Amino acid sequence: MIAGPQSRTPVIEILDVHKVYRVGTELVHALRGVTTTICENEYVAIMGSSGSGKSTLMNILGCLDIPTEGVYRLGGVDVSRMSQSRLAHVRSRRIGFVFQSFELLPRTTALKNVELPLTYSHTPKRRQKALEALDRVGLTDRMHHHPNQLSGGQKQRVAIARALAQSPDIILADEPTGNLDSKTGDEIMAIFDGLHAEGQTIVVVTHEDHIASRCKRVIRLMDGRIVRDSITERMEKSLPLTDLAPRVAALEEVAV
Amino acid sequence: MNGVAVVKTVILFLPTRLASVTNNVATAFVQIWANKIRSLLTVLGIIIAVTSIITVVSFVRGFGEYFTDFLRGLGTNLMVVSPEWKRGPRGEFIGRANMYLEDIQAVNAQCPAIRRTTPVMWTGPSIEYGRQRIARVEMRCASEQFQAIRNYYVDAGRFFGAIDVENANQVAILGREVLRKLECDESIVGDYVLIEGQRFKVLGLLEAKGQFMDDNQDELVVIPWTAGLKLYPDERNYMGFYVEADGEQNVAEAEAQLTRVLRQRHNLKPGQPHDFRVFKQDQMLKEFNKVEQVATSILGGIVSISLLVGGIGIMNVMLVSVTERTREIGLRKSVGARRRDILSQFLTEAVVLSTIGGAIGIGLGYAIGFVASMHPDMVQVKVPLWSVALALGFSAGVGIFFGIIPAFKAAILHPIDALRHE
Repeated sequence: MIAGPQSRTPVIEILDVHKVYRVGTELVHALRGVTTTICENEYVAIMGSSGSGKSTLMNILGCLDIPTEGVYRLGGVDVSRMSQSRLAHVRSRRIGFVFQSFELLPRTTALKNVELPLTYSHTPKRRQKALEALDRVGLTDRMHHHPNQLSGGQKQRVAIARALAQSPDIILADEPTGNLDSKTGDEIMAIFDGLHAEGQTIVVVTHEDHIASRCKRVIRLMDGRIVRDSITERMEKSLPLTDLAPRVAALEEVAV
Repeated sequence: MNGVAVVKTVILFLPTRLASVTNNVATAFVQIWANKIRSLLTVLGIIIAVTSIITVVSFVRGFGEYFTDFLRGLGTNLMVVSPEWKRGPRGEFIGRANMYLEDIQAVNAQCPAIRRTTPVMWTGPSIEYGRQRIARVEMRCASEQFQAIRNYYVDAGRFFGAIDVENANQVAILGREVLRKLECDESIVGDYVLIEGQRFKVLGLLEAKGQFMDDNQDELVVIPWTAGLKLYPDERNYMGFYVEADGEQNVAEAEAQLTRVLRQRHNLKPGQPHDFRVFKQDQMLKEFNKVEQVATSILGGIVSISLLVGGIGIMNVMLVSVTERTREIGLRKSVGARRRDILSQFLTEAVVLSTIGGAIGIGLGYAIGFVASMHPDMVQVKVPLWSVALALGFSAGVGIFFGIIPAFKAAILHPIDALRHE
């Protein structure tokens, strides 16, 4: 049984977040007031069709971008108005990314790839930490291999190790199985399951139901709003009113 | 923050900062090695620039040292005085001004800064020995002071003495190259050669001095100037002379004194130009420095053009590299690289690239100098350390100057756009 959000420390708190892009002369509202809380050791899937705003939400959660309006607190710190260089600092310490196409540096060993974030955060004992991270994804024997000597699944495991290396508050995985066959995809998801069991907070962006079904909580986005949140459906009575209002509104919208 | 805390922070940061520098350099080498041909073509301009710096500087330095050695060999306090050429109204030569033995004697007597003098005539007679004949040989007609003034001694037999000069004895001193051309050895001492058909007894042989530029210094014959006057009677009106100043510091004073004496004796009014020419070593050095300056300015032209071309090449290839590696930049930013991290990474790459070009250029310059030095008629080429430092500095500077724009372009990329780049 899943515990309620208020029983654990919130990692991510976003409150009425809007994001407006200017494309040429047109303004595009990618997010139209998103409010949610993700707590420690939650395992969340964010779903939605393309154009639903899930990539934008992912970018904001990953501190790659800042909201036009609204507040984003990561680990209790307001990061919604930070400068690029401070955001980079936050990314290097608190967030681990896993991408659909792995994004490993070519001509660089698995070990060096895993060390990369530690280099930017000037963490001491980089090699040791990178080795530990590789061990957690079971790739110690491949640490001196270059990406072109690794299979797709192995590359994604290196990428996960890279995300783990600095013990981030949260791992953000953007379609982590999108470039893999279903068997390898399941292996990768099994790694996430294991990390979740060890206490890691994980957010997975996906459009595949069987991936989302492995997560303990599913947030569904449409047209820049949260239209469904599995946890609210179960817990809505215990949620504080401020959190509840926009969600109820969202639900009403879906009903219409 | 108090002092101790500052020191602690610095100590904590130093190794990691150093690590990021070495990381950047390592990444740069990986990138450059991954694109070997492209990188080599890119740095061609730098290679040419640095090769020409090293080559030209080392040749000029090599000649410079050779020249200085040569001047030192002449005797450091030496001045050469000769009659000036006279020019007609259209600037054409109309013979030489007069200079007589009396002028030389007056200089010798009236100039306290002058240690000694010898009359000199520069002539080019034929010389014969047995079946061998040299049609034209460098000959100096001088006094017994020649050895001391020119710092040029015999090492076999003896030099002629004052008595030989006084009696206009037909005696000769031969250089080693003359010996070689006459196909004989030291046994010639005591024997007779024919100079302009006249019999001269060989008294001694000059020590070997070697070659200077194209001119073999050992191809020289010395006879008493009095004997020379018998061969060339007209020369008594156009005599020149060597002067040895009384110490190096007195060279200028000696020149002033002899100029005063000669102008007075030749009745030159103030404002009238000299009718004689004084040639000093520092003048020769000045002449040589002019050559060096010309060489240096030509070098400057070549170098700045090829450095410019090289720099543009580097900028171009770095811009291509930034575009190719946009996703990599996005990834690096998403895992925490700040703008200045990306900036320094790409700047490092440009500097490493251009410095490799510089190093190759230095190697090539050394190789050219080494190969040239192997030729027997070539001077020993010297590569001064400052030129190596200068060349490396220049190439690194070009890397910074032309690398900054691409590096900046990479640094300001937005992580999201960069990650989405196809």
